[in-house]
Amino acid sequence: MTAATDTPMVELKGVKKRFGALEVLKGIDLKVDRGKIISIIGPSGSGKSTLLRSINNLEEIDEGRILLDGVQVNRPDLKGLAFERHINHIRQNMGMVFQHFNLFPHLSTLENVTLAPRKLKGMDAGSARELGMELLERVGLADKASVYPSALSGGQKQRVAIARALAMRPKVMLFDEATSALDPELVEEVNQVMKRLAEEHMTMLIVTHEMAFARDVSDWAMFMDGGVVVEENTPAHLFTHPDHERTRHFLRKHLGNQPQTQPHG
Amino acid sequence: MEFDFSPVITYFPTLARGIGATLLIAVVVALLSVLGGQLVAVISIFTRKAVSWPLRFFIWLFMTTPLLLQLYFLYFGIGEWILIPAVAVGVLGLGFHYMAYNADIFIATIKSVSHGQYEASRSLGFGHLATLFYIILPQAFYRAVPQLGNNMIIMVKDTSVLSAIGIAELVYRSQYAISVTFRPFEFYITIAAIYYLINVLMESGQYWFERRAANRR
Repeated sequence: MTAATDTPMVELKGVKKRFGALEVLKGIDLKVDRGKIISIIGPSGSGKSTLLRSINNLEEIDEGRILLDGVQVNRPDLKGLAFERHINHIRQNMGMVFQHFNLFPHLSTLENVTLAPRKLKGMDAGSARELGMELLERVGLADKASVYPSALSGGQKQRVAIARALAMRPKVMLFDEATSALDPELVEEVNQVMKRLAEEHMTMLIVTHEMAFARDVSDWAMFMDGGVVVEENTPAHLFTHPDHERTRHFLRKHLGNQPQTQPHG
Repeated sequence: MEFDFSPVITYFPTLARGIGATLLIAVVVALLSVLGGQLVAVISIFTRKAVSWPLRFFIWLFMTTPLLLQLYFLYFGIGEWILIPAVAVGVLGLGFHYMAYNADIFIATIKSVSHGQYEASRSLGFGHLATLFYIILPQAFYRAVPQLGNNMIIMVKDTSVLSAIGIAELVYRSQYAISVTFRPFEFYITIAAIYYLINVLMESGQYWFERRAANRR
């Protein structure tokens, strides 16, 4: 799956998604160049999580096209097992990090990281272990390799989840409110890991409620509301001089003071 | 009357063969009912109604009728047309009976694994079946251990019912020894102690496994 370097890493064209009568994505266009970091912000129910989940087909879109490195992700022409084979292959190139971590509780920390490369890439136990330890080292949890997830804090769980997603050497990482379920004092350790990924030029799409983090780390910021992209710009512009009243209103509520309740996607 | 345990000692080799048969049947039935129970649970959850409803009917049938009746039905009822060896009837009858009970447990524990686990596995690139096999079923199994253990303890005691269709397990052997020695109390007390011992061992095994499972869910 190689393509010319000027092909966008992720591209969305006119993406529409309905839940019953409710249209949650009303025609989204988006281009993410390789190595770029895009933050998507917006109120609950704006469609930002649905957008992210659509990119690796956890939500099936109704209209439009999604491309990963030039290869179409959604394939309405493929049915059943043919589509499953296609999407399994596509997903190996995308790492997804969830709000509630979703670590596998029956596997040790190391096994969580090595399961996919072992079973999907046929990596032998020794090399998988080496890779797993290297990734756990990168998220600062090498000493927890043999521990089960139930013994980890929320921040530690999320760092393992990031290592697990990185183990397949993805081309792009998708973060779906990765810090929203964490206690405030645990947010920073996860942000640090994400910042390091950014410095290594990983292509990243970040759905977040952390405005300060989004402003600092991303190359481009999008504000979504009601299933549309209200405005998008450089973070410097969007967070300081937003063009739209809805964006201003949203940022007034979220910048500076902590949200009062635990946000949900 | 006086107790005299010397006939028990004399006939202990007979009892020992019965213990061997009981344990062998119990192990085969445990494997059959646990593996089969998972299979029945997976099929009844993940397939269309044409397949899953007959299976649910099967579970319901085996759970609502007596084990002894099921064995008689298989051995003497179906035996009118095809003579199935008693051991096969015993293992299959007991196996299906507990398969139904275990399937019922697995259906609940498989459904209790959160959808997030499924999504996390699929997002890594695992397919539906691989996700079931590597992620969902192991977790469902750990959660099922306490109830599975209880079922298997009851099952071991229920192997005694197989004496009714002439399988030479522990109760059947002791009845033979009693018919020769006329010492029912001594033999019944002895085999009661043997069942008790087997179950104590199983309970401690279950306890060990539950502790191991506790930090893995």
